[in-house]
Amino acid sequence: MHILLVEDDPDTAEFICAGLAQHNARVQHCNNAEQAMLSASATAFDVIIFDRLLPNMDGLDAVRVLRASKVRTPIIMLTALSDTADRVAGLEAGADDYLVKPFAFAELYARLKALARRQPLRADTLELVIGELRLNRTSRRVYRAGQEIELMPKEYQILEYMMQNPEQLITKTMLLEQVWGFSFDPKTSLVQTHVSRLRNKLDKPFAFDMIKTIRGSGYLLTGSHYD
Amino acid sequence: MINRYHLKHTALLGGTLWATLLLLLWFTGQLLVWQDKQAQQHEFEEFLGEIESALEEHGLEHVLQEFELEEDEVWPDSEAQTHLFDEGWLVALFKQERLLLGANTRLTVASTPQWQSVSLGEEGNVELLSASVNLPDDLQLHYWQKRDELHTHRAEFYTQITHWFALLSLPLILAAIAWLQYKRTRTLQALSDQLAQVAHSPDSKRTDVSTSNPDIVALSLAINRMLDEITRLHGNLKTMSVGIAHDLKTPLSRISNRLQSMVQDVDNPAILEGHIDKANNELAQVINTFNNLVRLNAIESGKHIQGFKTFDLSALIDELAQSYQPVFEDSGRRFEVSIVPAVHCHGDRDLLGQLICNLLENALEHSHSDAHVWLRLQNHTDSALLQVGDDGPGIPLGDQPKVFDKFYRADISRGRPGNGLGLSIVRAICDVHKAHLCLLEQQPGAVFNIEIPIRSARSD
Repeated sequence: MHILLVEDDPDTAEFICAGLAQHNARVQHCNNAEQAMLSASATAFDVIIFDRLLPNMDGLDAVRVLRASKVRTPIIMLTALSDTADRVAGLEAGADDYLVKPFAFAELYARLKALARRQPLRADTLELVIGELRLNRTSRRVYRAGQEIELMPKEYQILEYMMQNPEQLITKTMLLEQVWGFSFDPKTSLVQTHVSRLRNKLDKPFAFDMIKTIRGSGYLLTGSHYD
Repeated sequence: MINRYHLKHTALLGGTLWATLLLLLWFTGQLLVWQDKQAQQHEFEEFLGEIESALEEHGLEHVLQEFELEEDEVWPDSEAQTHLFDEGWLVALFKQERLLLGANTRLTVASTPQWQSVSLGEEGNVELLSASVNLPDDLQLHYWQKRDELHTHRAEFYTQITHWFALLSLPLILAAIAWLQYKRTRTLQALSDQLAQVAHSPDSKRTDVSTSNPDIVALSLAINRMLDEITRLHGNLKTMSVGIAHDLKTPLSRISNRLQSMVQDVDNPAILEGHIDKANNELAQVINTFNNLVRLNAIESGKHIQGFKTFDLSALIDELAQSYQPVFEDSGRRFEVSIVPAVHCHGDRDLLGQLICNLLENALEHSHSDAHVWLRLQNHTDSALLQVGDDGPGIPLGDQPKVFDKFYRADISRGRPGNGLGLSIVRAICDVHKAHLCLLEQQPGAVFNIEIPIRSARSD
């Protein structure tokens, strides 16, 4: 992955750069919006990480300018503002995702992977196939190894989202946002309960588990038996 | 400040009043003087008319007799003046510009009766009426009349009255200004002094004015109401600070403990990882507290109101109920849902979603492990009635008024995860929707009733 990081706080920037380096991603870092806009127009990045509060310019305005100048690179905004309205403003300005500080690096990386992959996978793909798992988006039916699995609406939505982002970490927050549309974090194990029920139907009767738990971070859907 | 402003104001008012009265008095005097002069002039004209007719009827000699004049009596100028002063009048008779008899004087005379002011040596200025009358046989009569003594005295009297009034009323006016100034500023000054004291102890002291001025009484009451509100907010702030401190202290001290353990177990990766996980969880709780505070603040600021829409509340609650059904099942509780379909309400979908989640979370956390929890939605006349309840153990009677306070927790030790903000957020969401929230009394468990307006308050 080739990533542009726009972040003025040196600590946060160092934290992100070090994390990305571990995953062998190439990172270009700039600490102001003007420089970022120049780089984004000149180079084709896979994803841009944009801090919301930058010196001299609101990151939101910078994203608007980028989108107006036909830069279509996926953008994830980082912000300390956690309210839904701010989130909506960020998405309306043209950002593709919105992550509230402080965050775990795994959370950021999972979202980056999802964004970098988003382009080739069209939202209107009718059938999603991962290994022996098949999901038909028109009939909303799911088959594993040819055997139909009956899912509740939320379980179906979770699986659909996971199948759009296979082999990638999917965090609890991502599921809350994507499946429930929550911008707040319910205290209880809402996500865990539904994922566990999905697993009971999807994995228990079969030879190996497709949904894996990444401890402390989230879940991962894999099509292969071996890690 | 109060004094200076009022002094200027009162002085301006007093001064204007004084000058107006003075001007009025002077003007009245002048009017009376003018009336006197008019009356004398009128008499003078009548008198001249009488002389004319006497000349025609009885001849010159008769008239001269009337005036007690000799036929060729001529008074030189000084004698004429003395005569004018003694008798009050002066006459001169000319025939073709030649003085026949009377005053040989330098005093001028107008053709019609007119007043003139003449300077007569020692006597000073004298006001005279004069006129010349053309008589038959080329005779011409000049006649002067001094201003009536009584009238002169009266005019002087008026002038004196004005002067005395000016002199005597000035101290009175000044006294009145001072009195008004005192009366007007006394209560305001007292109020101002009291407020200075209140500033030192806003929680206990209140203003108290003794005045019949209803405006100032109203002002004092309004100030007291404001102080009550400030005291309440101040109290909230204190509770908040204490709450935040308590809520942070527990996880932070646990993190501190973990860090110490990590130093001890640095050589044992498996145990170390456990410490890191636990410390992370504690930190997540701290961050969650802050997120909730920020969220609560955003809700209370009312910035969501402009995005309010009318939407299908039944559908939202149905979706949430389905999401929570397995959570309740797994926890061993019985979850019963009864939703009247197509109940709409006016508000923010996301906020109302959180309201329901928080109430359900509250029931999950605080009801006993095999409790019966229910979620009901039905239509009322102007509102959607939502009820979330459980059958026990409920909230102690004494704590019921406090459940919606920020950082209130029935569990004083804060041993359980979470912060006391869930129900505060519920109340804030209700407030912003103008929804009526109540915790039902005399119930075995905690039962919350919420009436959400169906229509926008503004469109009614």
